Order: sequence, then structure tokens, then C-alpha cells
Amino acid sequence: MLWYKAWLETRTRFLISLVGIIVLCSLLIYHGDRDALPNTGPSYYYFVLRSGHSALCTMWILAVTLLTMGGLLREKAIGAASFTLALPAGRTRLMSVRICMGFLQAFALAVLPWAAMFAVAVSTGKARSIGQAGFHIALLAGGGMLFFGIALLVSSLVEGEYTAPVVSFGVTLAMSFLLGDPPLRAYSPFAFINGVEYWDRHSGLLVGAVPWAHIAASIGVTCVLIAISVKAIQRREF
Amino acid sequence: MIDAPVIQTRALTKSYGRVEAVRSLDLVVAPGCITGFLGRNGAGKSTTIKMLLGMIRPTSGDGAVLGRRITDPRENVELRRHVAYVSEDKRLYAYMTVEQMLRFTASFYPDWRHDIAENLLREYELPRERKVRALSKGMRTKLALLLAFARRPDLLILDEPGDGLDPFGIEQLLQSLVAICAEGTAVFFSSHQIAEVERISDRVAILERGRLILDLSLDDMRESYRQIDVVFPGLPAERDFQIAGIRRIRAAGHQWSVFASGNADAIVDRARDFHASSIQVTPVGLREIFLEMAREN
Repeated sequence: MLWYKAWLETRTRFLISLVGIIVLCSLLIYHGDRDALPNTGPSYYYFVLRSGHSALCTMWILAVTLLTMGGLLREKAIGAASFTLALPAGRTRLMSVRICMGFLQAFALAVLPWAAMFAVAVSTGKARSIGQAGFHIALLAGGGMLFFGIALLVSSLVEGEYTAPVVSFGVTLAMSFLLGDPPLRAYSPFAFINGVEYWDRHSGLLVGAVPWAHIAASIGVTCVLIAISVKAIQRREF
Repeated sequence: MIDAPVIQTRALTKSYGRVEAVRSLDLVVAPGCITGFLGRNGAGKSTTIKMLLGMIRPTSGDGAVLGRRITDPRENVELRRHVAYVSEDKRLYAYMTVEQMLRFTASFYPDWRHDIAENLLREYELPRERKVRALSKGMRTKLALLLAFARRPDLLILDEPGDGLDPFGIEQLLQSLVAICAEGTAVFFSSHQIAEVERISDRVAILERGRLILDLSLDDMRESYRQIDVVFPGLPAERDFQIAGIRRIRAAGHQWSVFASGNADAIVDRARDFHASSIQVTPVGLREIFLEMAREN
């Protein structure tokens, strides 16, 4: 039933985010080629990448950060932590369910909008490629987990119903400035999930192999952040 | 029924920097009875309860609840299967409905009593489909109590349970506590409402500045504690009057007010030895004892 609680706690935020992202991304794909100049270079994929995927990346980061806000520190701020902590469930178990629910929702927020964009492309006879869609999803879901880890860590360290999201968005914003220009941009998760390094400006396609090593490194760092978060909650006094 | 104490702490201490919230607490709570836990604001009652439930780590010392060590995280989870706790603020999950709260809580307790939950839902007039965030403070308190009672715990720990209830609700609560105790659940509750504590408790423990200053049964209290008002024509020296049982002497002219925790007969005899012209012995209530002990410490 902890899954049930985690779902009830986040479902409104999740569904609003999901519907909002799907609608916006689908509209971008549907209307995107109006802005393309036929036969002059920018293809449909240009708009998928620049409009659809870039918009998805930004909204995904915002949504995942918001969805990850919660847990015992937020409950402490609103006074419900005593009830949760008096249940016969250890803190690690409480955290695990929350983390798994967050992962699933973050993954859904990456895959479902892409599925919607793909469906729009199919239904309107636009160019599409499952391989390109998979590449984009791998970059977003794999590389983007770092943002999930950051939000989780902040929500496990910073108390206050509104303080934690503000700090989390602040950290994300600071990262985007600090890692925005070369040479640090090579380490930017924003550039990575947008596929900047793999994007061919002539074709508008992602080229090369999916960077599994980079994705694994990103997931590894996320795991470290998660471990720190769990430890912080285990040690915390309520 | 278990004969071992339901709560036992040994030198339990919690410090925040240089401030000792709970100081070397040796508390024993007997099974099958209602124990009132009294103390001023900031005396350390909530901190003690939170240490018992593993929400706060003791700085030193240890304790056991239902025979399980409170400082062992695994044992603490296990003990919480048998303990129901209602916190001071009684906040629950605002995003759940009453029905969802019931379903969620019931899932953790195999012995959940659906019949009790249904009866209390009706008795407390709680609307099943209403979100917790839309409940009044009194209704929220009733829901928190319902969730605790329906588990049929071995130990019920309540932190200011009457807070937010109207007099009718408090009456319902007190009757419920007596009823649940009669069925074998030990009740340990903190309260500022001394009259209520006195009415239903079998024992009382008083905490003052983190230290346990009194732990006795209400029967013993009624038996032993006395206020003895004495008028002396010629005043004796206070040190000559000191005998066992005297906690405090307050002098106003020729009239002494003696607060005694026992030995009243001997004190009266001693007053007669000093030719007291008037001696009046009156039993004292928990309220007077609490105020006296708090002042003393």
C-alpha cells in the first residue's frame, strides 16, 4: 500500500504534467513543419529535435523536479511525518517505494510524449523513425535521471514545503549557467539529453551509436545521489 | 496478558547541543493500565515518545517497548506493528479521503478490526469520501483516533489526544480509552488536561525539564498525598518540624501550609507536639501535586 500512497500523493502532479507535455509536444510536431522551409534544409526532424524534443527536455526536467518533491521532509513540514514514521515500515522501504515510483513516472514522462509525437507523425503522414525516437528517449531517460537524483537529494536535505522545490530549481538553473559554455558543456546534462553532441545539423538526425557508457555514467551518479538521499533520511530526526 | 513492562527506559537521554531535552529517564509503564504522562510545555514528553518510536535517536541510554529495543531499527519496526500512536498535531495525508486513509492504514495491520472501524466511523460521523484536507480539526483528530483504535494494538501511545476535540468528543475519547484498556491494551498518553488524566489513569508519570519527578499510581497518590494546614500559637523552627513525607512548608504568619507526600499521621502528631491550635488535613488532587512538583523542580 505504500505504492498506493506514493501514487495518490503524486498522481495529480503527474497527470497534469503528462497531459500538458503530450499536448504541447504533439502540437509542436503537428504544426512544426509549417515553419520549415521546404527543400531548403530544415526537415521534419529538425523540428522534432529542436522543437519537440527540446521542449520535452525542458518540461521533463521541470516536471520530474516537481514530482520528486515530497517524502518525509515535506511530510514533516506539513505535519504528517509522525503518522508515516509510526507505521511498521522502515525508512529505507519508504524511500525505496518513493524512488521507484519517481523512476517510473520520470520514464513515463519521457516515453509517452515521444509515443504521442510519433503517433502524430504517423497519423499526419510525416516522416518518422523508431530508431531516432529510441535514441532521443535513451538520451532523455538515461541522462535525465541525474535531474531526478538532484531533486531527490534536495528534497531529502532541505526542509519546507516550498523551500525544497525552490532550491532544486535553483540548483538546476545554476547548473545550466555553469555548464552552458565550452569546455564545461561536455559535462552538461542539458546538452546531453538534448543530443547536442550527436545531432547532425544537415540531416537534423542524431547520428552514431547510442552513448551507453555516458548513460551508464549518468545513472551511476544518480545512484550515488540516491544513496546519499537514503542515508540522509535514515539519519534524520523527526 | 504480558506481565513485563510495555515501556521500559534506562537512563534515556536526548540532548540538543547543550540543552538536555530528556535527562537520564528511567520510565516503567505497566501493562494493562492507563498511564498519564504529564509535564509542562517543553518538559520532554513528545521527545520521549518520539524516541520510543524511533523517530529520534537517543543521545545515550536505551529502552524497550513491548520487549523490543527502541534503538535497533529492525526491532523498532517490529514494535510498531503492535503499537498505535496518535501524534500531537494529528496531521494525516491531505490528499487522501477518509476511506483511502482507512484502506491504507489497515493494510499494515493483519489484526485490523473492520467492525471497530465501521462503528467508529458512524459514531464519529466521519464522511468516507471526504478528503482529509477538507476535515475540521476535530474530525481529523477523530480520524486519527479511529485509525489507532481499529488496529487493536498492545500499546496505545497518544500525545495530547484531546487537543481539537469538543467536550463531547473528549468524553467519547475518555470512554474509548477506558474500554480499550479493559480489553487488554495498555494506554500511555500525554496531556495538559490534568482532570482528564486523573479521571481515567491508573498511574501517572510527571516529567519536568526532561527529568522524571514522579511516577506513582493514582491510588497511592490519593492514599498518601495530603495538604495539612496548621496554626501555631508559637512558631516552631522549620528545621525542627522536618520529618519524612514533608515536601514543602509554606508559612504565612502563624499559619503553615504543609504539603506532604505521605506520613500524614506522623506530621499531625508532630504538629500537636508543637501545640498546634488548629490542624486541618485535606486530600490533594493531581492538579495540586503536579503544580507543587513542577514548582519544586
